[in-house]
Amino acid sequence: MFAKIFEALYIKVLVNIVRQSTSTLVYIELHSKKGMIEHLHNEFDTTVLDEAMREFITTYTKESPYYYISVLDSSSEQGAIPTCSKNKINYYTDLSDAEYKCFDGKWTYYTSKSDIYEIEEHYKAIGVDFIFSPFLIMHNFFQDKITKSVAIYALVQDGYISISVFNEGELLYAEHLDMQASTDPDEMMLTDGLDVSEEDLDLESGIDLENIDVEGDENAILDDLSDIEDLDALEDIDEFSDAKDVEEELLENEEEILKEAEEQEDGSFNEDYQRFSLIQTAISHFYKDARYESQFLENIYIADCVGVSRDLKKYLEEEMFLNVYIRKADIEAELCELAKQELGI
Amino acid sequence: MKYSYIKPRKKTPFSTDLQLVLTFFMITIIMLFGTYAFLLFKDYRFVKNRQELEQSKVALAHNIKKMEDEIAYIKKQKAVANEIYTQNMVLKDSIANLFDLVPERITLSRADLLKNGLILYGITPNKDVYNFMLQAPLRSIFQETYTSFYPVQNGWLRFVSTNYINEDEAQTKDDSNED
Repeated sequence: MFAKIFEALYIKVLVNIVRQSTSTLVYIELHSKKGMIEHLHNEFDTTVLDEAMREFITTYTKESPYYYISVLDSSSEQGAIPTCSKNKINYYTDLSDAEYKCFDGKWTYYTSKSDIYEIEEHYKAIGVDFIFSPFLIMHNFFQDKITKSVAIYALVQDGYISISVFNEGELLYAEHLDMQASTDPDEMMLTDGLDVSEEDLDLESGIDLENIDVEGDENAILDDLSDIEDLDALEDIDEFSDAKDVEEELLENEEEILKEAEEQEDGSFNEDYQRFSLIQTAISHFYKDARYESQFLENIYIADCVGVSRDLKKYLEEEMFLNVYIRKADIEAELCELAKQELGI
Repeated sequence: MKYSYIKPRKKTPFSTDLQLVLTFFMITIIMLFGTYAFLLFKDYRFVKNRQELEQSKVALAHNIKKMEDEIAYIKKQKAVANEIYTQNMVLKDSIANLFDLVPERITLSRADLLKNGLILYGITPNKDVYNFMLQAPLRSIFQETYTSFYPVQNGWLRFVSTNYINEDEAQTKDDSNED
Protein backbone atom coordinates (compact mmCIF):
# COMPACT_ATOMS: atom_id res chain seq x y z
CA MET A 1 0.00 0.00 0.00
CA PHE A 2 2.83 2.38 0.93
CA ALA A 3 4.60 1.46 -2.30
CA LYS A 4 1.51 2.59 -4.28
CA ILE A 5 1.37 5.88 -2.39
CA PHE A 6 5.06 6.57 -2.99
CA GLU A 7 4.67 5.57 -6.64
CA ALA A 8 1.88 8.11 -7.04
CA LEU A 9 4.00 10.84 -5.45
CA TYR A 10 6.97 10.43 -7.76
CA ILE A 11 7.23 10.87 -11.51
CA LYS A 12 8.06 7.87 -13.68
CA VAL A 13 11.08 7.99 -15.96
CA LEU A 14 11.00 5.64 -18.91
CA VAL A 15 14.38 5.16 -20.54
CA ASN A 16 14.32 3.31 -23.85
CA ILE A 17 17.50 2.09 -25.47
CA VAL A 18 17.80 0.78 -29.01
CA ARG A 19 21.19 -0.51 -30.02
CA GLN A 20 21.79 -0.15 -33.76
CA SER A 21 24.64 -1.32 -35.96
CA THR A 22 26.90 1.67 -35.27
CA SER A 23 24.94 3.84 -32.87
CA THR A 24 22.56 3.75 -29.93
CA LEU A 25 19.24 5.56 -29.68
CA VAL A 26 18.11 6.72 -26.28
CA TYR A 27 14.58 7.98 -25.79
CA ILE A 28 13.40 9.21 -22.41
CA GLU A 29 9.85 9.99 -21.33
CA LEU A 30 8.93 11.54 -18.01
CA HIS A 31 5.43 10.79 -16.76
CA SER A 32 3.53 12.23 -13.86
CA LYS A 33 0.16 11.06 -12.60
CA LYS A 34 -1.50 13.46 -15.04
CA GLY A 35 0.42 12.33 -18.11
CA MET A 36 3.61 12.89 -20.03
CA ILE A 37 5.67 15.83 -18.80
CA GLU A 38 8.65 15.69 -21.09
CA HIS A 39 10.29 13.53 -23.71
CA LEU A 40 13.86 13.57 -24.97
CA HIS A 41 15.70 11.86 -27.72
CA ASN A 42 19.39 11.43 -28.26
CA GLU A 43 21.56 9.38 -30.57
CA PHE A 44 25.03 8.29 -29.50
CA ASP A 45 27.61 7.21 -32.05
CA THR A 46 28.58 4.14 -30.12
CA THR A 47 27.10 0.77 -29.37
CA VAL A 48 28.62 0.55 -25.90
CA LEU A 49 27.44 2.32 -22.79
CA ASP A 50 29.96 5.11 -22.69
CA GLU A 51 30.31 7.94 -20.20
CA ALA A 52 28.23 10.43 -22.22
CA MET A 53 25.33 8.02 -22.63
CA ARG A 54 25.44 7.03 -18.99
CA GLU A 55 25.51 10.65 -17.90
CA PHE A 56 22.57 11.48 -20.18
CA ILE A 57 20.54 8.61 -18.76
CA THR A 58 21.47 9.10 -15.10
CA THR A 59 20.62 12.82 -15.33
CA TYR A 60 16.99 11.80 -15.73
CA THR A 61 16.95 8.60 -13.70
CA LYS A 62 18.17 10.65 -10.73
CA GLU A 63 14.94 12.62 -10.83
CA SER A 64 12.85 9.74 -9.57
CA PRO A 65 13.44 6.39 -7.93
CA TYR A 66 10.75 5.03 -10.22
CA TYR A 67 12.74 4.79 -13.42
CA TYR A 68 12.49 1.91 -15.85
CA ILE A 69 15.11 1.07 -18.44
CA SER A 70 13.87 -0.80 -21.48
CA VAL A 71 16.13 -2.34 -24.07
CA LEU A 72 15.15 -3.67 -27.47
CA ASP A 73 16.45 -7.14 -28.03
CA SER A 74 18.56 -7.17 -31.17
CA SER A 75 20.10 -10.60 -30.83
CA SER A 76 20.18 -12.78 -33.90
CA GLU A 77 19.07 -15.85 -31.96
CA GLN A 78 15.58 -14.52 -31.44
CA GLY A 79 12.41 -15.26 -33.30
CA ALA A 80 8.75 -16.11 -33.04
CA ILE A 81 6.77 -19.27 -33.66
CA PRO A 82 3.08 -19.68 -34.42
CA THR A 83 2.13 -21.67 -31.32
CA CYS A 84 1.98 -21.42 -27.54
CA SER A 85 1.57 -25.12 -26.93
CA LYS A 86 4.65 -26.52 -25.20
CA ASN A 87 4.21 -29.78 -27.06
CA LYS A 88 4.32 -28.07 -30.46
CA ILE A 89 7.15 -25.62 -29.73
CA ASN A 90 9.82 -28.24 -30.35
CA TYR A 91 8.36 -28.86 -33.80
CA TYR A 92 9.48 -25.37 -34.83
CA THR A 93 12.64 -24.80 -32.82
CA ASP A 94 14.57 -25.92 -29.77
CA LEU A 95 13.89 -23.53 -26.91
CA SER A 96 15.79 -25.38 -24.20
CA ASP A 97 18.33 -22.56 -23.91
CA ALA A 98 15.90 -19.79 -24.72
CA GLU A 99 13.68 -17.46 -22.77
CA TYR A 100 10.23 -17.36 -24.33
CA LYS A 101 6.86 -15.82 -23.73
CA CYS A 102 3.45 -16.54 -25.13
CA PHE A 103 1.57 -13.63 -26.65
CA ASP A 104 -2.18 -13.64 -26.15
CA GLY A 105 -2.18 -17.45 -26.21
CA LYS A 106 -1.58 -17.36 -29.97
CA TRP A 107 2.12 -17.19 -30.67
CA THR A 108 5.44 -17.30 -28.87
CA TYR A 109 8.41 -14.98 -29.11
CA TYR A 110 11.78 -16.08 -27.85
CA THR A 111 15.41 -15.18 -27.49
CA SER A 112 18.43 -17.00 -26.16
CA LYS A 113 19.18 -16.82 -22.45
CA SER A 114 22.80 -15.96 -23.14
CA ASP A 115 21.72 -12.90 -25.15
CA ILE A 116 19.55 -11.70 -22.28
CA TYR A 117 22.52 -12.16 -19.97
CA GLU A 118 24.68 -10.31 -22.48
CA ILE A 119 22.24 -7.35 -22.56
CA GLU A 120 22.08 -7.27 -18.76
CA GLU A 121 25.86 -7.33 -18.55
CA HIS A 122 26.19 -4.69 -21.29
CA TYR A 123 24.00 -2.24 -19.37
CA LYS A 124 25.14 -3.36 -15.92
CA ALA A 125 26.14 0.18 -14.94
CA ILE A 126 22.58 1.49 -15.28
CA GLY A 127 20.65 -1.77 -14.99
CA VAL A 128 17.89 -3.12 -17.20
CA ASP A 129 14.22 -3.49 -16.25
CA PHE A 130 12.64 -4.64 -19.48
CA ILE A 131 13.87 -6.45 -22.57
CA PHE A 132 11.37 -6.44 -25.41
CA SER A 133 11.20 -8.40 -28.62
CA PRO A 134 10.99 -6.45 -31.94
CA PHE A 135 8.09 -8.72 -32.86
CA LEU A 136 6.05 -7.11 -30.10
CA ILE A 137 6.83 -3.69 -31.53
CA MET A 138 5.80 -4.87 -34.96
CA HIS A 139 2.56 -6.33 -33.59
CA ASN A 140 1.86 -3.14 -31.69
CA PHE A 141 2.71 -0.90 -34.62
CA PHE A 142 0.57 -2.76 -37.17
CA GLN A 143 -2.20 -3.59 -34.75
CA ASP A 144 -4.82 -2.15 -37.14
CA LYS A 145 -3.59 -4.29 -40.06
CA ILE A 146 -2.59 -7.54 -38.40
CA THR A 147 -6.17 -8.55 -37.64
CA LYS A 148 -7.06 -8.30 -41.34
CA SER A 149 -6.18 -10.58 -44.24
CA VAL A 150 -2.85 -12.28 -44.75
CA ALA A 151 0.16 -10.01 -45.23
CA ILE A 152 3.84 -9.86 -44.56
CA TYR A 153 5.09 -7.33 -42.02
CA ALA A 154 8.63 -6.08 -41.73
CA LEU A 155 10.27 -3.96 -39.07
CA VAL A 156 13.27 -2.36 -40.69
CA GLN A 157 15.88 -1.20 -38.21
CA ASP A 158 19.41 -0.04 -38.69
CA GLY A 159 21.30 -3.31 -39.08
CA TYR A 160 18.35 -5.60 -38.41
CA ILE A 161 15.14 -6.61 -40.03
CA SER A 162 12.30 -8.49 -38.37
CA ILE A 163 9.84 -10.21 -40.67
CA SER A 164 6.54 -11.82 -39.81
CA VAL A 165 3.47 -13.08 -41.61
CA PHE A 166 0.11 -12.60 -39.95
CA ASN A 167 -3.29 -13.76 -41.07
CA GLU A 168 -6.27 -12.37 -39.18
CA GLY A 169 -4.23 -11.90 -36.04
CA GLU A 170 -2.64 -15.35 -36.21
CA LEU A 171 1.11 -15.53 -36.72
CA LEU A 172 2.10 -17.80 -39.57
CA TYR A 173 5.81 -17.13 -39.82
CA ALA A 174 8.46 -14.95 -38.22
CA GLU A 175 12.16 -14.38 -38.62
CA HIS A 176 14.66 -11.92 -37.24
CA LEU A 177 17.63 -11.18 -39.48
CA ASP A 178 20.89 -9.47 -38.75
CA MET A 179 22.09 -7.58 -41.82
CA GLN A 180 25.70 -7.64 -40.71
CA ALA A 181 25.64 -11.39 -40.26
CA SER A 182 24.00 -11.99 -43.63
CA THR A 183 26.09 -12.91 -46.69
CA ASP A 184 27.14 -10.74 -49.59
CA PRO A 185 24.08 -9.22 -51.31
CA ASP A 186 25.21 -10.24 -54.79
CA GLU A 187 25.72 -13.81 -53.72
CA MET A 188 22.31 -13.89 -52.11
CA MET A 189 20.72 -12.59 -55.25
CA LEU A 190 22.26 -15.36 -57.27
CA THR A 191 21.27 -18.14 -54.93
CA ASP A 192 18.14 -17.58 -52.87
CA GLY A 193 16.69 -14.92 -55.12
CA LEU A 194 16.82 -17.15 -58.13
CA ASP A 195 15.36 -20.06 -56.24
CA VAL A 196 12.33 -18.07 -55.33
CA SER A 197 11.83 -16.30 -58.60
CA GLU A 198 12.38 -19.21 -60.93
CA GLU A 199 11.20 -22.23 -59.04
CA ASP A 200 8.46 -21.08 -56.77
CA LEU A 201 7.18 -17.86 -58.16
CA ASP A 202 6.20 -18.54 -61.75
CA LEU A 203 4.81 -15.02 -62.02
CA GLU A 204 8.34 -13.79 -62.54
CA SER A 205 8.88 -15.98 -65.58
CA GLY A 206 7.76 -13.53 -68.24
CA ILE A 207 7.69 -13.98 -72.03
CA ASP A 208 11.01 -13.78 -73.70
CA LEU A 209 10.19 -12.37 -77.10
CA GLU A 210 13.75 -13.01 -78.32
CA ASN A 211 13.25 -16.73 -77.92
CA ILE A 212 10.25 -16.80 -80.19
CA ASP A 213 11.13 -18.60 -83.31
CA VAL A 214 9.62 -16.37 -86.03
CA GLU A 215 10.58 -18.67 -88.85
CA GLY A 216 9.21 -21.76 -87.19
CA ASP A 217 5.86 -23.39 -87.17
CA GLU A 218 2.87 -21.06 -86.87
CA ASN A 219 1.39 -23.19 -84.17
CA ALA A 220 4.60 -22.93 -82.20
CA ILE A 221 4.39 -19.15 -82.43
CA LEU A 222 0.80 -19.19 -81.31
CA ASP A 223 1.74 -21.48 -78.42
CA ASP A 224 4.35 -19.01 -77.29
CA LEU A 225 1.95 -16.10 -77.66
CA SER A 226 -0.67 -17.91 -75.59
CA ASP A 227 1.31 -16.69 -72.58
CA ILE A 228 0.20 -13.15 -73.48
CA GLU A 229 -3.38 -14.27 -73.04
CA ASP A 230 -2.38 -15.48 -69.58
CA LEU A 231 -1.21 -11.97 -68.82
CA ASP A 232 -4.62 -10.58 -69.85
CA ALA A 233 -6.24 -13.17 -67.67
CA LEU A 234 -4.10 -12.08 -64.73
CA GLU A 235 -5.41 -8.54 -65.02
CA ASP A 236 -8.94 -9.88 -64.68
CA ILE A 237 -8.24 -11.53 -61.38
CA ASP A 238 -10.23 -9.51 -58.83
CA GLU A 239 -8.09 -10.55 -55.89
CA PHE A 240 -5.16 -8.45 -57.02
CA SER A 241 -7.12 -5.24 -57.42
CA ASP A 242 -9.18 -5.74 -54.24
CA ALA A 243 -6.13 -6.55 -52.18
CA LYS A 244 -4.89 -2.97 -52.47
CA ASP A 245 -5.01 -1.12 -49.20
CA VAL A 246 -6.35 2.27 -50.34
CA GLU A 247 -6.30 3.84 -46.92
CA GLU A 248 -2.66 2.88 -46.41
CA GLU A 249 -1.73 4.17 -49.86
CA LEU A 250 -3.20 7.60 -49.18
CA LEU A 251 -1.28 7.81 -45.95
CA GLU A 252 1.84 6.67 -47.69
CA ASN A 253 1.59 9.23 -50.50
CA GLU A 254 1.78 12.06 -47.99
CA GLU A 255 4.82 10.50 -46.43
CA GLU A 256 6.47 9.88 -49.75
CA ILE A 257 6.44 13.55 -50.68
CA LEU A 258 8.31 14.36 -47.52
CA LYS A 259 10.58 11.38 -47.86
CA GLU A 260 11.64 12.18 -51.39
CA ALA A 261 12.92 15.53 -50.28
CA GLU A 262 14.88 13.99 -47.45
CA GLU A 263 16.05 10.90 -49.21
CA GLN A 264 19.76 10.46 -49.52
CA GLU A 265 20.83 8.02 -52.12
CA ASP A 266 24.44 7.54 -51.07
CA GLY A 267 24.97 4.13 -49.50
CA SER A 268 21.29 3.35 -49.08
CA PHE A 269 21.11 1.47 -52.35
CA ASN A 270 23.20 -1.43 -51.13
CA GLU A 271 21.43 -1.60 -47.78
CA ASP A 272 18.00 -1.54 -49.38
CA TYR A 273 18.99 -4.21 -51.84
CA GLN A 274 20.24 -6.27 -48.91
CA ARG A 275 16.95 -5.72 -47.15
CA PHE A 276 15.08 -6.72 -50.26
CA SER A 277 17.18 -9.86 -50.50
CA LEU A 278 16.52 -10.73 -46.89
CA ILE A 279 12.78 -10.22 -47.33
CA GLN A 280 12.89 -12.32 -50.48
CA THR A 281 14.79 -15.06 -48.61
CA ALA A 282 12.33 -14.94 -45.74
CA ILE A 283 9.37 -15.25 -48.13
CA SER A 284 11.13 -18.13 -49.81
CA HIS A 285 11.57 -19.85 -46.43
CA PHE A 286 7.93 -19.23 -45.63
CA TYR A 287 6.79 -20.83 -48.87
CA LYS A 288 9.26 -23.68 -48.80
CA ASP A 289 9.29 -24.72 -45.16
CA ALA A 290 6.63 -27.36 -44.64
CA ARG A 291 6.37 -26.54 -40.94
CA TYR A 292 4.63 -23.26 -41.69
CA GLU A 293 1.14 -22.89 -43.07
CA SER A 294 1.86 -21.44 -46.49
CA GLN A 295 -0.43 -18.76 -47.88
CA PHE A 296 -0.06 -16.55 -50.92
CA LEU A 297 1.29 -13.14 -49.99
CA GLU A 298 0.19 -10.02 -51.85
CA ASN A 299 0.76 -7.20 -49.40
CA ILE A 300 3.79 -6.18 -47.43
CA TYR A 301 3.68 -3.58 -44.66
CA ILE A 302 7.02 -2.10 -43.72
CA ALA A 303 7.66 -0.25 -40.49
CA ASP A 304 10.50 1.97 -41.54
CA CYS A 305 12.73 2.98 -38.66
CA VAL A 306 15.75 4.04 -40.72
CA GLY A 307 14.34 5.86 -43.77
CA VAL A 308 14.47 3.34 -46.58
CA SER A 309 14.78 4.58 -50.15
CA ARG A 310 12.17 4.19 -52.86
CA ASP A 311 14.33 1.42 -54.29
CA LEU A 312 13.21 -1.09 -51.70
CA LYS A 313 9.60 -0.48 -52.61
CA LYS A 314 10.47 -0.67 -56.29
CA TYR A 315 12.32 -3.97 -55.86
CA LEU A 316 9.51 -5.54 -53.92
CA GLU A 317 6.86 -4.34 -56.33
CA GLU A 318 8.72 -5.19 -59.50
CA GLU A 319 10.51 -8.36 -58.48
CA MET A 320 7.99 -9.94 -56.18
CA PHE A 321 4.75 -8.33 -57.33
CA LEU A 322 3.88 -7.28 -53.81
CA ASN A 323 1.77 -4.30 -52.84
CA VAL A 324 4.18 -2.39 -50.67
CA TYR A 325 3.08 -0.01 -47.90
CA ILE A 326 5.73 1.79 -45.94
CA ARG A 327 5.01 3.49 -42.64
CA LYS A 328 7.50 5.63 -40.83
CA ALA A 329 8.16 4.27 -37.38
CA ASP A 330 9.94 5.75 -34.41
CA ILE A 331 11.43 2.61 -32.95
CA GLU A 332 12.42 4.10 -29.59
CA ALA A 333 8.97 5.67 -29.11
CA GLU A 334 7.37 2.34 -29.99
CA LEU A 335 9.61 0.68 -27.43
CA CYS A 336 8.43 3.24 -24.90
CA GLU A 337 4.82 2.35 -25.74
CA LEU A 338 5.56 -1.25 -24.81
CA ALA A 339 7.16 -0.16 -21.54
CA LYS A 340 4.05 1.91 -20.79
CA GLN A 341 1.82 -1.05 -21.53
CA GLU A 342 3.98 -3.20 -19.27
CA LEU A 343 3.69 -0.68 -16.45
CA GLY A 344 0.02 0.03 -17.11
CA ILE A 345 0.57 3.76 -17.67
CA MET B 1 5.91 -9.06 -16.73
CA LYS B 2 3.38 -9.19 -19.52
CA TYR B 3 5.69 -8.71 -22.48
CA SER B 4 9.23 -8.34 -21.17
CA TYR B 5 11.63 -11.26 -20.98
CA ILE B 6 12.83 -10.10 -17.57
CA LYS B 7 11.23 -8.77 -14.41
CA PRO B 8 11.82 -5.12 -13.52
CA ARG B 9 14.00 -4.36 -10.55
CA LYS B 10 12.19 -3.51 -7.34
CA LYS B 11 11.73 0.24 -7.07
CA THR B 12 11.88 2.06 -3.79
CA PRO B 13 12.03 5.79 -3.00
CA PHE B 14 14.42 5.04 -0.15
CA SER B 15 18.05 5.48 -1.08
CA THR B 16 20.81 3.76 0.92
CA ASP B 17 21.57 6.93 2.92
CA LEU B 18 17.91 7.54 3.58
CA GLN B 19 17.48 3.92 4.58
CA LEU B 20 20.37 4.29 7.05
CA VAL B 21 18.94 7.47 8.57
CA LEU B 22 15.45 5.98 8.72
CA THR B 23 16.83 2.81 10.30
CA PHE B 24 18.57 4.91 12.94
CA PHE B 25 15.41 6.87 13.65
CA MET B 26 13.34 3.74 13.64
CA ILE B 27 15.67 2.10 16.17
CA THR B 28 15.53 5.24 18.35
CA ILE B 29 11.75 5.38 18.13
CA ILE B 30 11.49 1.67 18.82
CA MET B 31 13.76 2.09 21.85
CA LEU B 32 11.72 5.05 23.11
CA PHE B 33 8.48 3.20 22.63
CA GLY B 34 10.06 0.13 24.18
CA THR B 35 11.10 2.13 27.25
CA TYR B 36 7.67 3.74 27.41
CA ALA B 37 6.02 0.34 27.10
CA PHE B 38 8.36 -1.05 29.78
CA LEU B 39 7.49 1.80 32.13
CA LEU B 40 3.80 1.36 31.43
CA PHE B 41 4.16 -2.31 32.17
CA LYS B 42 6.06 -1.66 35.35
CA ASP B 43 3.47 0.92 36.41
CA TYR B 44 0.72 -1.56 35.69
CA ARG B 45 2.57 -4.23 37.66
CA PHE B 46 3.09 -1.77 40.52
CA VAL B 47 -0.61 -0.85 40.61
CA LYS B 48 -1.52 -4.51 40.45
CA ASN B 49 0.93 -5.37 43.24
CA ARG B 50 -0.42 -2.55 45.35
CA GLN B 51 -3.95 -3.80 44.81
CA GLU B 52 -2.85 -7.32 45.71
CA LEU B 53 -1.08 -6.03 48.81
CA GLU B 54 -4.15 -4.03 49.81
CA GLN B 55 -6.27 -7.10 49.33
CA SER B 56 -3.85 -9.21 51.37
CA LYS B 57 -3.76 -6.45 54.00
CA VAL B 58 -7.55 -6.60 54.29
CA ALA B 59 -7.39 -10.40 54.39
CA LEU B 60 -4.68 -10.29 57.07
CA ALA B 61 -6.64 -7.74 59.13
CA HIS B 62 -9.62 -10.04 58.86
CA ASN B 63 -7.46 -12.99 59.92
CA ILE B 64 -6.01 -10.99 62.81
CA LYS B 65 -9.50 -10.13 64.00
CA LYS B 66 -10.50 -13.74 63.67
CA MET B 67 -7.41 -14.85 65.56
CA GLU B 68 -8.01 -12.24 68.26
CA ASP B 69 -11.53 -13.56 68.62
CA GLU B 70 -10.12 -17.07 68.82
CA ILE B 71 -7.55 -15.92 71.41
CA ALA B 72 -10.33 -14.30 73.44
CA TYR B 73 -12.39 -17.44 73.15
CA ILE B 74 -9.39 -19.58 74.16
CA LYS B 75 -8.72 -17.24 77.07
CA LYS B 76 -12.31 -17.65 78.15
CA GLN B 77 -12.00 -21.39 77.73
CA LYS B 78 -8.80 -21.25 79.76
CA ALA B 79 -10.53 -19.27 82.49
CA VAL B 80 -13.39 -21.71 82.51
CA ALA B 81 -10.95 -24.61 82.53
CA ASN B 82 -9.05 -23.04 85.39
CA GLU B 83 -12.28 -22.48 87.23
CA ILE B 84 -13.34 -26.05 86.63
CA TYR B 85 -9.90 -27.22 87.59
CA THR B 86 -10.08 -25.18 90.78
CA GLN B 87 -13.56 -26.43 91.45
CA ASN B 88 -12.42 -29.95 90.79
CA MET B 89 -9.50 -29.44 93.12
CA VAL B 90 -11.83 -28.03 95.71
CA LEU B 91 -14.19 -30.91 95.15
CA LYS B 92 -11.33 -33.34 95.33
CA ASP B 93 -10.17 -31.79 98.56
CA SER B 94 -13.73 -31.79 99.83
CA ILE B 95 -14.12 -35.44 98.96
CA ALA B 96 -10.74 -36.18 100.50
CA ASN B 97 -11.76 -34.26 103.55
CA LEU B 98 -15.08 -36.07 103.57
CA PHE B 99 -13.47 -39.42 103.46
CA ASP B 100 -11.03 -38.31 106.10
CA LEU B 101 -14.05 -37.55 108.26
CA VAL B 102 -15.36 -41.06 107.94
CA PRO B 103 -13.98 -43.22 110.80
CA GLU B 104 -12.58 -46.67 110.10
CA ARG B 105 -15.44 -48.44 111.83
CA ILE B 106 -18.09 -46.92 109.56
CA THR B 107 -18.28 -48.08 105.96
CA LEU B 108 -19.75 -45.80 103.31
CA SER B 109 -21.61 -47.46 100.49
CA ARG B 110 -22.65 -44.31 98.59
CA ALA B 111 -22.12 -40.58 98.72
CA ASP B 112 -24.20 -38.02 96.81
CA LEU B 113 -22.69 -34.62 96.57
CA LEU B 114 -25.28 -31.88 96.11
CA LYS B 115 -24.85 -28.23 95.45
CA ASN B 116 -25.65 -27.28 98.97
CA GLY B 117 -25.60 -30.65 100.64
CA LEU B 118 -24.32 -34.17 101.07
CA ILE B 119 -26.16 -37.46 101.29
CA LEU B 120 -24.21 -40.36 102.71
CA TYR B 121 -25.21 -44.00 102.67
CA GLY B 122 -23.35 -46.51 104.77
CA ILE B 123 -23.17 -49.12 107.55
CA THR B 124 -22.32 -48.42 111.15
CA PRO B 125 -21.91 -50.94 113.96
CA ASN B 126 -24.17 -48.86 116.14
CA LYS B 127 -25.66 -45.42 116.53
CA ASP B 128 -23.13 -44.25 119.03
CA VAL B 129 -20.23 -44.87 116.78
CA TYR B 130 -22.06 -42.87 114.14
CA ASN B 131 -23.16 -40.08 116.41
CA PHE B 132 -19.79 -39.58 117.99
CA MET B 133 -17.49 -40.29 115.19
CA LEU B 134 -19.31 -39.02 112.09
CA GLN B 135 -22.27 -36.90 112.99
CA ALA B 136 -20.21 -34.55 115.13
CA PRO B 137 -17.88 -33.47 112.33
CA LEU B 138 -20.81 -33.29 109.89
CA ARG B 139 -22.67 -30.96 112.18
CA SER B 140 -19.70 -28.69 112.28
CA ILE B 141 -19.89 -28.35 108.50
CA PHE B 142 -23.60 -28.51 107.70
CA GLN B 143 -26.27 -26.52 109.44
CA GLU B 144 -28.96 -29.10 108.88
CA THR B 145 -28.28 -32.79 109.40
CA TYR B 146 -30.87 -35.54 109.30
CA THR B 147 -30.00 -39.17 109.80
CA SER B 148 -32.17 -42.21 109.55
CA PHE B 149 -31.10 -45.77 110.57
CA TYR B 150 -32.45 -49.14 109.82
CA PRO B 151 -30.98 -52.43 110.92
CA VAL B 152 -29.42 -55.07 108.74
CA GLN B 153 -29.23 -58.86 109.46
CA ASN B 154 -25.87 -58.95 111.20
CA GLY B 155 -27.08 -56.41 113.80
CA TRP B 156 -25.35 -53.45 112.25
CA LEU B 157 -27.28 -50.36 111.15
CA ARG B 158 -27.57 -49.01 107.67
CA PHE B 159 -27.80 -45.24 107.69
CA VAL B 160 -28.73 -42.41 105.38
CA SER B 161 -27.33 -39.07 106.44
CA THR B 162 -28.76 -36.00 104.69
CA ASN B 163 -26.83 -32.80 105.30
CA TYR B 164 -27.58 -29.29 104.04
CA ILE B 165 -25.77 -26.04 104.29
CA ASN B 166 -28.05 -23.13 105.05
CA GLU B 167 -26.53 -20.62 102.62
CA ASP B 168 -27.80 -17.48 104.35
CA GLU B 169 -26.43 -18.62 107.63
CA ALA B 170 -23.25 -19.80 106.05
CA GLN B 171 -22.87 -16.41 104.38
CA THR B 172 -23.43 -14.65 107.68
CA LYS B 173 -20.99 -16.98 109.31
CA ASP B 174 -18.42 -16.27 106.62
CA ASP B 175 -18.95 -12.53 106.96
CA SER B 176 -18.57 -12.66 110.74
CA ASN B 177 -15.47 -14.78 110.31
CA GLU B 178 -14.07 -12.24 107.91
CA ASP B 179 -14.80 -9.45 110.34
